[in-house]
Amino acid sequence: MAKKPSMGRQKIKIAKIEIKNHLQVTFSKRRSGLFKKASELCTLCGVEISIIVFSPAGKVFSFGHPTVDSIVDQFLSRNPPPNSTMRHLIDAHRKASVQDLNSQLTQVLNELEAGKKRGETLDHMRKLASQRKYWWEKPIDELGLNELEQLMDSIEALKKNVTNQTDKLSVEGNVNLSPFFSANGMGMVDSVEIKLYQMNASSTTHVQNTGYGHGFF
Amino acid sequence: MTRTKVNLAYIANDSERKSTFKRRKKGLMKKAEELSILCAVDTCAIIFSPYDPEPDVWPSPLEVQRVIAKLRNMSPLEQNRRMMDQKDFIRQQLTRLSEQMAKQQREIRHKEMTNVMFECLKGKGFEYLNMSDLNDLNNLLSQNIRAIERRIKLLEKRHNGGD
Repeated sequence: MAKKPSMGRQKIKIAKIEIKNHLQVTFSKRRSGLFKKASELCTLCGVEISIIVFSPAGKVFSFGHPTVDSIVDQFLSRNPPPNSTMRHLIDAHRKASVQDLNSQLTQVLNELEAGKKRGETLDHMRKLASQRKYWWEKPIDELGLNELEQLMDSIEALKKNVTNQTDKLSVEGNVNLSPFFSANGMGMVDSVEIKLYQMNASSTTHVQNTGYGHGFF
Repeated sequence: MTRTKVNLAYIANDSERKSTFKRRKKGLMKKAEELSILCAVDTCAIIFSPYDPEPDVWPSPLEVQRVIAKLRNMSPLEQNRRMMDQKDFIRQQLTRLSEQMAKQQREIRHKEMTNVMFECLKGKGFEYLNMSDLNDLNNLLSQNIRAIERRIKLLEKRHNGGD
């Protein structure tokens, strides 16, 4: 169930890429990255930029601030664009929209960053747990046949109980809407009632054997 | 460069803005050149700034003119099809990023639920879980059961298939 890792940062030679597939992928990523850098430069320094790129297939991608055409015309004619009230209005409006979009962008990037940290924390927790004496927390591929069968029995027993709980809740119509994952983000409740499994312990024979319900300690 | 996070807004400080401009302009031109060489494609960049009446260009004014001519020779439809201003580009980025975020949220959910599963196996109860959490937990349990079944089958096959 592990994700195949991507290539990561590789130092490459600056020469035409021979493998067509790599070339296509590189083009797509770098073109996007180039436009991103251009957009950032426009915002940070208030300059006007245009970038024109032809794809390997001959299609043309272009980026321009304020617009590709205005920059291209300005370059060709060597004259600054006419200074009109209309232009000022359009520019001001555009600037406000871009500012708003950039804030949204920053927000999403921050959320992604936070999510990434959260994922790493969870991975770390899992790694620590699998190293300790709890054999059942090791990846499935590291378990022997006996262990696998034991684990499966425990999980099936747990699943029965969870299903009972969901049935019970839907029958009662008493759905607890409060979020499980609290503000501290840890997702674990400290003082937990364990009466449920104790109730079911007698009804499921496997519970005693595998330890589900009594812990593996 | 410096791994400090940059605030995506106009730099008010004049000297900071000028030095940022110089640094990033250099980087931008370099990236344009790399793209051009790596993918063997026609590329050009034009920058108008308050620091120079003449625009900064890559590769050269003559080459820029050639690329512009190549652009303008295409039909208006083709020209405009992949033409973007800042708004368009940032919207495109936002779409891409929100897809990334949805995927990330699913992964986090899966990881958190896995922790819950192991806690439950150790004996912790789950009355505090709401309906949605319980359903996700149930699905995860089914997933794990199937994965274990597959693994058991594989091991048995190996054991039997071996000498």
